[in-house]
Amino acid sequence: MRNFVFVPEALVVAGALAILLLARGRRRSRPWLPAAAAAFPLVALAVELWVGATLATYFGGALVQDRFALFAKAGVLLAAALAIAVTDWSEEDAPSIGMAMILLAAFGVMVVASSGDFVGLWAGLELAAAAGVVHVSLRRTDLALGLLVTGGVASALVLVGLAFVYATTGSADLLAVRHAMGTLAPTLPLAVPVLLLLGGLAVRAGLMPFQFARVPAGLAASPLGASMIIGIVAAAALIVAVKVAALLTPLPAVFSPYLMVAAAVTMVGGGAAALATRSPRARIVYLAAGQVGWIAAGLATHYLVGMGAALFLVGAFALAATTGPAVMAGADTGEFALAGMGLLRPARAAAIALVFLSLAGAPPLAGFFGEFAVAAALAQSGAFWLLALGLLGAVMSVAAAVGTLRAIYLQSPPDESRRAAGARLPVLTRLSSLGAVALCIAIAGYGVFANPILGLANQGAEALGLR
Amino acid sequence: MILAAIAAASPTPVGVPGAGIFTSPLILSLSIWVPVAVAIGMNALPNPRGRYDTLMKQIAFFTNVGIVFVLFIAYNQFETFLPTLQFEEKLPWLTSIGATYHLGVDGPSMTMMMLSGLVGIAAVLASWGVRERVRSYFTLLLLTQSAVNGAIAAHDMFLLVLFWGAAIIPVALLIFGWGGPRREAAAWRLVGYWGLGTAALLIATMIAYAANGGGSFDMDVLLKATFTPRVQLAVGAALVIAAATRLPLFPLHGWVRDVYADSPLGVSVLVAGSASRLGAYLLLRVLVAGDPDASRLLAPFIAGLAALTIIYAALVALRTVDLRWAAAHLAMVPGGLTVLGLAALTPLSIAGSVLSNFTGGLAAALIVAAAWTLTDRAQARSLQVLGGLAPRMPILTWVFVLAALALLGVPLMASFPAEEMILFGSFKTQPVGAFAVVAGLVLAAVALALLVHRVLFGQPNPDAPAVSDASLGETWYLGLLAGGLLWVGLFPGGPKLPGTDQPIFDPGLINVMSAGLTDIASPYVAPTAPGATQ
Repeated sequence: MRNFVFVPEALVVAGALAILLLARGRRRSRPWLPAAAAAFPLVALAVELWVGATLATYFGGALVQDRFALFAKAGVLLAAALAIAVTDWSEEDAPSIGMAMILLAAFGVMVVASSGDFVGLWAGLELAAAAGVVHVSLRRTDLALGLLVTGGVASALVLVGLAFVYATTGSADLLAVRHAMGTLAPTLPLAVPVLLLLGGLAVRAGLMPFQFARVPAGLAASPLGASMIIGIVAAAALIVAVKVAALLTPLPAVFSPYLMVAAAVTMVGGGAAALATRSPRARIVYLAAGQVGWIAAGLATHYLVGMGAALFLVGAFALAATTGPAVMAGADTGEFALAGMGLLRPARAAAIALVFLSLAGAPPLAGFFGEFAVAAALAQSGAFWLLALGLLGAVMSVAAAVGTLRAIYLQSPPDESRRAAGARLPVLTRLSSLGAVALCIAIAGYGVFANPILGLANQGAEALGLR
Repeated sequence: MILAAIAAASPTPVGVPGAGIFTSPLILSLSIWVPVAVAIGMNALPNPRGRYDTLMKQIAFFTNVGIVFVLFIAYNQFETFLPTLQFEEKLPWLTSIGATYHLGVDGPSMTMMMLSGLVGIAAVLASWGVRERVRSYFTLLLLTQSAVNGAIAAHDMFLLVLFWGAAIIPVALLIFGWGGPRREAAAWRLVGYWGLGTAALLIATMIAYAANGGGSFDMDVLLKATFTPRVQLAVGAALVIAAATRLPLFPLHGWVRDVYADSPLGVSVLVAGSASRLGAYLLLRVLVAGDPDASRLLAPFIAGLAALTIIYAALVALRTVDLRWAAAHLAMVPGGLTVLGLAALTPLSIAGSVLSNFTGGLAAALIVAAAWTLTDRAQARSLQVLGGLAPRMPILTWVFVLAALALLGVPLMASFPAEEMILFGSFKTQPVGAFAVVAGLVLAAVALALLVHRVLFGQPNPDAPAVSDASLGETWYLGLLAGGLLWVGLFPGGPKLPGTDQPIFDPGLINVMSAGLTDIASPYVAPTAPGATQ
């Protein structure tokens, strides 16, 4: 069984490479390709669930298979498979590259999830981010450049922070660093690298006010590109953040206040921005930002329950944020774009509705369960001011989601001649309908089966050495 | 004597013929999840160009009838002498944070479930005239009913928050999609106020959860935990805000006018009849039952809110020139009365509040529905246009008068014993609040009398549009609500075989609601002086 642990990673990389190679071959229509591309992460998910419970370390501790890795890998594989399935490939500039890039981004997250040292964390994060940049560049090179520069700064911050931590503790191994941190006092020389590290991750995850390039790219990229930027890449950064926060838990005074303020700004700002905008794409980007704030709030609690809750919410976030822009397809120009979708594309409309509600934290969907778990952790750590601000953001987010639902279900579809270019109806395929139904089931099922999923997330947090 | 006996909740078993024929451990889950399943199923059915719209309405109607049937079985099987939870279901959900799927009903909850069932049927009947996007409308209506039932049956604070918050979205969409001219304002205000209430409820829950060590959200644990007065006060204040946004109470009533006046009728009935009653139910279930110290401390404040609510509602009803707005504000009156009973904290007043929550729901729904139907049939809302309608609208005249009598709590209406119990139970502990409430009721009576006189029995307006009386379909839902009020008013203890104490098929709302009340009211029973005779 031990030898099969990296089969999912191998499958995902093989899938990405095969698609890229196919793209270089003779150009002809390959309608089966999206289904095949979705099959790779799905099979990988099945294998992961089958063999992922094995606990093992590889390459001298550089890669670790534990409950944390199992949870994170399963979440990202499901999100990637569903995103590929629901994407309207007629909206994508280079479908083959898009499929390959999302698989590579998923691979990057898998590396992050399994990594046992700083190198793996950094490499996985960069791989995911690079895949996102490549995809954005297919449509908007200027935004891709902005994303690259900002990502480079973030990467430098992360790298400098990790280097300082390495220099302070004398090890790059995560568990060893955590043990070493336990003996250190929260001094200013330690606070500076920690803040650099968290600042870099905040830029990557799009925490307000560090959402410089992420939001514009999320708004203007192709649907799948936006899915990658606000979904998978952010999820990669958040998984790194969970691991880093676990390292830092012996030193809450160094990072907690910083993270709490950033979380508060993101939760309230995300909700307010989502309420203020009328574009569905912008709304989903801001709703996702608001939920990232909740995850950051969970990390700021610096103990097992909070980290477990944050990880649980990362799963819900990855699922909704990665699939959200993809399932909306070309509907990114005002609420008008989604008008009547409930009549014309019922399965897709239901999926869009559930994605919005889940990102807003509306009951009884995946996001609500995650945010409730984080709220419980915040209460236990006494951060009621942060909880109150989070709820303020959540109320605004729900109001914003209601606005979108209204357009989907209550407005009449515009006649085809009035449809703007950005409001084109998604092409109806069997795969996309099936994917939309599966997405609905996944988002609802995340709440129904919240107990085993949260249990796994808690085991994952425990695997990071938290108690 | 009778009132005292009711408040004491006699533990004498009352046999009901047919009890024990049908039992199900899933009775409460059925009432919550069947509407959801039906709503999903309805959406899966093909409905090209609205061909099966009537079928959709029938599905929604029979779903509600089925739920009321199931609930009636539960009501009929209810062991009125047991103070504990009945039809209990408990499953782990989020074990690591202590959240469970814990449902159960005691007397007050069972009463609320029946209210929800009756109002649900009335709401569907009141929605029969919906012509646009019928499937979506009834889907949302069923989801709202599911959320209301869930909030009533929840015995875990996590579940309560979940269902409490889940009602907001379908109601808002119903208003957006099928509301009147001011639907935008109505829906956004509802989202804002109810969202604020949900946030307050969640904060209250989390404060109690954290203060108890974070092990469980179960009401059995949280409501029996001993908290410091500071924690109790914080929890109590947040609960009052949550309840005030939902019931509503002055000054958090900003959504009432537009929602009751500009929602589609079925939604107005549902919100006024059952969804808003959750506010008072929350105060009873969590604040009064779980936080006795905070209840005592906040009692004068809550009584003040109750009085202000009734006085404000009556004054607005006196001044407004829109019949629907007047009815919307008058629908706040029963809520204020219910809350006074909860603030008085005597066994009698608490029992009165439980009954008042039921009767107040029916009365509020009836006044809103009567005003809505009347203005619809008269093709005008302005009191300057409406006048002398009684000869041309005999059915609606009867219904409107019955609604007015129910709001005021006159004998033979179910609200009469509720009002008596609340006022008798309140004068000793909250005299100022009780006097203010009575003053408010007098004002409400004046407002109602003026409305009835002007609209129904005043001078007809020759320039008014043509009017017609309620149709048979409209008579059904109005009759159901009025019938419920009269039935409980005439047979509060259930109909009995002549010459016996044996209830026939209805164990009596008073008997059912009393189960479990002794436990809730026990912290507020005045200690008996040594040597005093019982």
